[in-house]
Amino acid sequence: MTESAASSGPAKARPILWGFAFVFAMFGAGIFARTVDLNDFWSMAIMVPPMLLLIPLIRSGERRGSELGCNSQALVRYNRRSLIWSFTYMIALFVAVMAKDRLDPQGAVLWLVAMLPSLPIFYFVYTLRAYLREEEDEYLKMRFVEQALWGLALLLVLATFYGFLESFGAVPHAAGWLALPVWAIGMGAAGVWMKVRGA
Amino acid sequence: MKNRLKVLRAERDWSQQDLADALSVSRQSVNAIETGKYDPSLPLAFRIADLFDMPIEQIFLRD
Repeated sequence: MTESAASSGPAKARPILWGFAFVFAMFGAGIFARTVDLNDFWSMAIMVPPMLLLIPLIRSGERRGSELGCNSQALVRYNRRSLIWSFTYMIALFVAVMAKDRLDPQGAVLWLVAMLPSLPIFYFVYTLRAYLREEEDEYLKMRFVEQALWGLALLLVLATFYGFLESFGAVPHAAGWLALPVWAIGMGAAGVWMKVRGA
Repeated sequence: MKNRLKVLRAERDWSQQDLADALSVSRQSVNAIETGKYDPSLPLAFRIADLFDMPIEQIFLRD
C-alpha cells in the first residue's frame, strides 16, 4: 500500500503532457489560422483536432486520479458534462459563424446568431453547480473550489490590468468571451500547482 | 491540528485505502488528513471517531 499520494514515473506525466499538447495545439492552430489568413470555415475546422485532445486529456487525468486515490464519481460526471459543454460550444460557434457568413443576418436574427455560442455557458454553470452538490468528498470539493478561486483571481487580475491598458489605448481590444478560457487556464494551472506541491 | 490517524490505522493494519473506503472518502483525503494538510469537518471527524470507537479528542489534538 502506498502511504503517500506522491509518486513518480511516466504515468504521472501523462495528463500534464496531454494538457500541454492541448494548449499548444489550440494556440498553434489559432496562430496558424491567422498567419495563413484562412477563411472562417477553415479557421473553425482547424480547431477540431485540438479540441479532440480534450478527450484523452480528461481520460488520462481520470486514470491518474484513480491511481492516486483522488477521483470520485462526482468528478467523473463533472468531466463528462465539461466535454459535452465544450463540444456543444464548438458546434454552436461553428453554426453561428457560418450563419453570419452565408446568411448575413440583420436585426433580431443577428442578435440570435451572435448569442448562439453563448448559450452553452448556462450548461457550464449547471455543471459547476451540479459538481458542488454531488461531491461527497469534502477534501476534493475544497480543492475544486480553491482551484476555481485561483482561476477567478487570474481572470480578475488580467481583466483589470488589460482593461486599463486598453482604456488608455496601449493595447488592442480583447473580446469578452476570453474570460472563460482565462478562468479555465487559471483553474488548470492551480490544479497542476497543487499536485506538484502534493496537496 | 495534529492527529493520531496514522498510528491508529497502523495499529489495525489498515491501509489508507481501507480507511478511505470505510469513511467513503478518497484515499487522498485520508492522506491529506494524516499529514496535517487538511483538517476534516466536524461531521467527518465524528465519522472517524465512530469508526475507531474513540472520542474525537483522543484522535485529534490541539497544536
